[in-house]
Amino acid sequence: MSAPISPVRQPLITGSKTYHQITEDLCSPTERAPNATWVIAFLISVSVLGFGLFCIAWTIWKGIGTWGSNRTIGWAWDITNFVWWIGIGHAGTLISAILLLFRQKWRTGVNRAAEAMTIFAVLCAALFPGIHVGRAWVVFYFFPYPNTRGPLWPNFNSPLLWDLFAISTYFTVSLLFWYTGLVPDFATVRDRAKGIRKKVYTFLAFGWTGAAKHWQRWESLSLVLAGIATPLVLSVHTIVSFDFATSVIPGWHTTIFPPYFVAGAIFSGFAMVQTLMLITRKVLNLQDYITVEHIESMNKVILATGSIVGVAYLTELFIAWYSGYIYEQFAFFNRAVGIYWWSYFGMMACNVISPQFFWNKKLRRSITFTFFMSIFINIGMWFERFVIIATTLARDYLPSSWSFYKPTWVEVGIYLGTMGLFFTLYLIFVRVAPVVAIAEVKSILKAGGDQYVEKHKAHHEKAELEAPAHH
Amino acid sequence: MKTTKETIWIGEEDLTRDEQFLQNAQKETSLPGATDLAVENNLSSNRRDFLKYLGFGVGAAAMASCEIPVKRAIPYVVKPDTIVPGVATYYATTFVHGADVLPVTVKTREGRPIKIEGNSLSSFSRGGTSARAQASVLDLYDIDRLREPMSKATDGWAAADWSDIDKNVSTALKSARNAVLLTPTIMSPSALKLISDMSAKFNLKHVQYDAISSAAMLDANEESFGERVIPDYHFDKADVIVSFGADFLGTWISPVEFAADYADRRKVKDLKNPNLSRHFQVETGMSLSGSNADHRAVIKPSQMGSAIAYVYNKVAGGSAPTGSLSDNAKKVLDAAAKNLRGASGHSIVISDSNNKAEQMLINGINAVLGNYGKTMGFAHASLQRKGSDKELRAFLRDMQAGNVDMLITWGANPAYNIPEAAAFVEAASKVKTKVALAYKKDETTLLADHIAPIHHNLESWGDVEAKKGMLSTIQPTISPLFETRQAEESLMTWAGMVSDETPDYHTYVKMNWKSTAFAGQSQFASFDTFWNYVLQDGVFETSGGAEASFGGNAASYGSRVTKPSAGLEIDFIEKVALGDGSYANNPWLQEMPDPVTRCSWGNYLAVPVSFDGNRNFEGFQGVEHDSEIVEIGFGENSITTPCIKQFGQAKDTMSIALGYGRGAGGTCSKGIGVDLYPQLPVDSEGYTQYYSTEVDWKGSTKRKEKWYSSVQYHHTMGVTAPEGETGEIINADEQAIATLPVKGFQGSLVDRSIIRRAHADDLHDFTHDLQHEREHHQYLNAAGLYPGHDDLYNQGHHWGMHVDLNACTGCGACTVACMAENNVPVVGKKEVARHHEMTWLRIDRYYYGDVENPSVVYQPMMCQHCDNAPCENVCPVNATNHSSEGLNQMAYNRCVGTRYCANNCPYKVRRFNWLDYTTADTWPDNEPELVQGTGLEFGADDLTRMVLNPDVTVRSRGVIEKCSFCAQRLQEGKLTAKKEGRKLRDADVKTACQTACPTGAITFGDRNNPDGELMTKFASPLNYIALEEVNVQSSVQYSARINNKDKSLEA
Repeated sequence: MSAPISPVRQPLITGSKTYHQITEDLCSPTERAPNATWVIAFLISVSVLGFGLFCIAWTIWKGIGTWGSNRTIGWAWDITNFVWWIGIGHAGTLISAILLLFRQKWRTGVNRAAEAMTIFAVLCAALFPGIHVGRAWVVFYFFPYPNTRGPLWPNFNSPLLWDLFAISTYFTVSLLFWYTGLVPDFATVRDRAKGIRKKVYTFLAFGWTGAAKHWQRWESLSLVLAGIATPLVLSVHTIVSFDFATSVIPGWHTTIFPPYFVAGAIFSGFAMVQTLMLITRKVLNLQDYITVEHIESMNKVILATGSIVGVAYLTELFIAWYSGYIYEQFAFFNRAVGIYWWSYFGMMACNVISPQFFWNKKLRRSITFTFFMSIFINIGMWFERFVIIATTLARDYLPSSWSFYKPTWVEVGIYLGTMGLFFTLYLIFVRVAPVVAIAEVKSILKAGGDQYVEKHKAHHEKAELEAPAHH
Repeated sequence: MKTTKETIWIGEEDLTRDEQFLQNAQKETSLPGATDLAVENNLSSNRRDFLKYLGFGVGAAAMASCEIPVKRAIPYVVKPDTIVPGVATYYATTFVHGADVLPVTVKTREGRPIKIEGNSLSSFSRGGTSARAQASVLDLYDIDRLREPMSKATDGWAAADWSDIDKNVSTALKSARNAVLLTPTIMSPSALKLISDMSAKFNLKHVQYDAISSAAMLDANEESFGERVIPDYHFDKADVIVSFGADFLGTWISPVEFAADYADRRKVKDLKNPNLSRHFQVETGMSLSGSNADHRAVIKPSQMGSAIAYVYNKVAGGSAPTGSLSDNAKKVLDAAAKNLRGASGHSIVISDSNNKAEQMLINGINAVLGNYGKTMGFAHASLQRKGSDKELRAFLRDMQAGNVDMLITWGANPAYNIPEAAAFVEAASKVKTKVALAYKKDETTLLADHIAPIHHNLESWGDVEAKKGMLSTIQPTISPLFETRQAEESLMTWAGMVSDETPDYHTYVKMNWKSTAFAGQSQFASFDTFWNYVLQDGVFETSGGAEASFGGNAASYGSRVTKPSAGLEIDFIEKVALGDGSYANNPWLQEMPDPVTRCSWGNYLAVPVSFDGNRNFEGFQGVEHDSEIVEIGFGENSITTPCIKQFGQAKDTMSIALGYGRGAGGTCSKGIGVDLYPQLPVDSEGYTQYYSTEVDWKGSTKRKEKWYSSVQYHHTMGVTAPEGETGEIINADEQAIATLPVKGFQGSLVDRSIIRRAHADDLHDFTHDLQHEREHHQYLNAAGLYPGHDDLYNQGHHWGMHVDLNACTGCGACTVACMAENNVPVVGKKEVARHHEMTWLRIDRYYYGDVENPSVVYQPMMCQHCDNAPCENVCPVNATNHSSEGLNQMAYNRCVGTRYCANNCPYKVRRFNWLDYTTADTWPDNEPELVQGTGLEFGADDLTRMVLNPDVTVRSRGVIEKCSFCAQRLQEGKLTAKKEGRKLRDADVKTACQTACPTGAITFGDRNNPDGELMTKFASPLNYIALEEVNVQSSVQYSARINNKDKSLEA
């Protein structure tokens, strides 16, 4: 894929890496014994996960009544967390699918970790629809399986059922995509491994030999999967937004939701990628592969999607006013200044105002600033879902039924538990697979390696001097 | 292979049994060696066998590991005639609890009473019921009820034999010098005869008192009319009603009867000439009656005498002193007096004052207006209050002096519900023999030497004369559950009145009827026929007594009314549900939210609220939040209680309900609320006063109650107040609605299409506008993409409901009836506080009008059975779906519990089983406590479960439930019509809320039956659909609330 490159492009791999060095750098984390930081992080994650599992067991044993939701506010933290996690997953798919189709070379540095994040985030998300129901043990009624009750099928009109299909499809495609990318890298690890590790990686590498035919098929499969995954980037959150958009509740029933949700999902996904990558590159010493260039590119995406989200928020307010529909007007008035004003304020501050700082190139390229921004955005996007779900339900049509919601320790525990699950899986992932796609990074070395970029640049400048009349 | 039947053959050879063919045929199926192989394999198992055994083994192991509880059902050897499994039997009887009385019918299933219905044969109740009557069936299965006689032993209570108790009590009674039988009002003619027979035989005195006393009124009536009774009121004949504090729609004397009459004149029957009555209420706090009134004069409780005197002066021309009434109050009272003068003979003036002078003035006003004999009469005078405060106080003095040597209490609880409860407890030690005829242990029972447990009303025989000439019978609907004995029978036994002639109280009642009612009628020749007829109807009505005329001198009492005092005052009120506190152990009533405050499980102190002109509602003395715990002092004593900011509460006053804070009221009442009886003052004439001026505000703790069990936080549809800067009248609630210091926008609440209301004079314009608006909504709704299902719904039945907001007084009888009918679980204070209540039917309360004296609209809200139901299409598993008859139905077994339907319900009527409220789970120990710290879960025990309606599924944890339009009753109605081979009539199916309603506010029926009651109601142009523009196609129509305010006051 090496190709002549414009001199405005900054190098994507620094440190004048050779192919061998790349292999060494990226495989070594899977070969070393874990360091103390990893062990501590893993223990914390597993403990939090354990507590989360306890809270889930508690919920199933005692009932949803252990949560703070009530007759008016049927969904609160559960579905907020669900939408939040699903949104986070979107960055991985966007990077691996859409950016692949657009031939964005910078994606190679972050796509592996982003895809892993997608899968783990979707796992965390998928947990909530399963456990938020009153009778988790009959959740299989959702599936259209042949049965002797008529047969009785699920309700294909229900957005919750669409959710089920959207998410399971999304998970399957993401997993395939991720694993496909991993096969050549597993082969690299296999070739360096000994003993039992070798056996395991031999199995995982599916007999990859690096033959030209393998590469050709691999490229084709990647493209096909990218083609399948691309509409999913748009469809999954669109369908999630249908949970709300197809309802009759003022503040939910809006046609703006699908694009708004997709933009928000990519926005929050990239923020989560930033959070993870900034830590990973530091801890695993991958600064040469995940460069400021990568970070800046992602910040640009954050700026763009954040602005879309901001426009969506303002459009909602305008339409509420313009509609002349009292319920809609009140719903948005209530969001902004009602009982949960702080969540609306948090949402606006984190999602609309803070990304605007990325217009400044210096801030866009500041690692510390980016890290804090990524956290802000994740908080802001959580608030957004809370605003949409709990705040809206708290004050809908009949003032007689208005209520208030606050979470219980069980709900907080489950949310923390999904964090634990996410980080546990991620920590295992960085130990067993190359965090950066070795094969793909190698493929851009000639185009994006700093030593070559310098060379190209010099060559280019020379050519410019020699042929001033060119073009 | 052999062909066994000659007719079955394959080819000619087979038919002819050809030798060769048969041989070949044999070879075809039995391959050589196959037989040997089979024999060989016979000993070892093959793959199929293995799988079979494996399957069987796993199945058997799984079966064995599940413990299947063995439940034995014992069939009848000889089936009783009256019990057909699956078919309900109804018995007419009478609900009596203290001074509350209602003729009812009792639905029994397989011998268990499970539901109270009204008795429409009674001209007294007209088929209506109250929340208290509805809930009384649960008392039958009260886990705290006494199960056997007990006597006090050295170390607590010991079970005793009836014979021992009878011997002891008889001996004590014989030797008693001054025995007292203390009871609340007794309305039973037979019991009263029995008691008077006893009194003649022994030194026994009968003292009746009512915890919430009407003694002064009775005494005033005695002086005015020569009879110590309460007149018979006809609110349906009154054009003007003025009530001084009497909550006649909620708690006063006979609320079911009054509400029915009252609603008769509040329903709009003729749009051109609505002819509504005009109702003025003079009161301190917002009572149920006050909330229904056209006008309220808000006064301090000590000003009640002045207010009565003021109206007396205006109407009768007297010159009684009128103290210091506020200008606002005077304005309303002036209007009331003016309206009264214009409605001579067509008005009613009542008061709940326990001050004789004030009651004399009331009588004077009614006499001047000529109301006696027209809107009020004595032929059917009410006998529902007989208690005498003077006799109670005389008895207490006797007791303290040691002059009472024997005390029998029957239904009375003086150790709790009188102001001198502490003195009573102290003096009790001076009484040699104390016997309690009690249903369960309470404060008084605990002092007794012997407890004689009594039957529940539904296990008893008896009779009632609630109003003169209006007799009703009490008959058992179930055999006694425990070793209890009817109180009257115990008295008979102790008095030695059990003889061959009267072996039991049943016979005693019959004999009494034979000599009284039977003797006075001529329709029946034989007593047995007569008695059967009466028992079947449950009521027997005669022309009653003679009319009486006013003979007192009211004017002379003018100067003797209470003098108003300055400073803070507190008003002690009676709750619609809990009464004087004797209902405190009934979880249905505890859980029923107060109609006005919408709080349950506790008596919240109501404090006034005002608007600061900007965006804050200011609570009294800086109270910021509802449920803030405050301390108030009564002289030396003080109490702490959570308070609520109450619209319409008079300035410088507070209100709080009696009947809470039971010391020994049973498990459900434990720790609920605070007891105010000790704070009731007794005036110089010996009457208990239900307000106190000796109260001071000690301050707020600034803490909120932990579990503030209010089901409705938000209060208004449009409380108005002047804007601070401009003075313009604005909707204060809408302005105050934001949390941040931002003003809300006008119209955000009132422009919602939830409540429609208008003045009776404006009906023409109002209905025009309403229809116009509805047409616009319908026009927009018709623009949908999808065709509707009208073609389907236009066939067969299409159920619908009509709720007349003019008839609905908000009393809550329907909500309790719904719980009883549909096995709706009770969840307890904590769960109500968390908004986990399970009520299928609730009554929303909305205030409108002036912030300091608003009016109220009640709106019963249940599943609207939308034909375009938003809940149905979002359910992922089709658990909620639409029937071809327009019912929105729930398949509980299919429900996964996503709660998506509840979120998407615009009316928020869907209820989720958050926890295991019904103990339906297979695993134990996860049921929430009903009352904190008691370990009691409602319905976990077999006794309480007897009240369950077998026709309705008990829902398990994790599923959604909601109003089904009483689907089980629809089915029953359809079957009845089918058996009788005719079309179903609207009258065949009546929902539980409909039958419970005392005012006929709810009508249920078939929308495809143009001649039915429902479609008649649906034709009114006053009707509207709540949230019609949302296009959910609701099946419930409401009739707009029409008031009859005096327009001269509005200006």
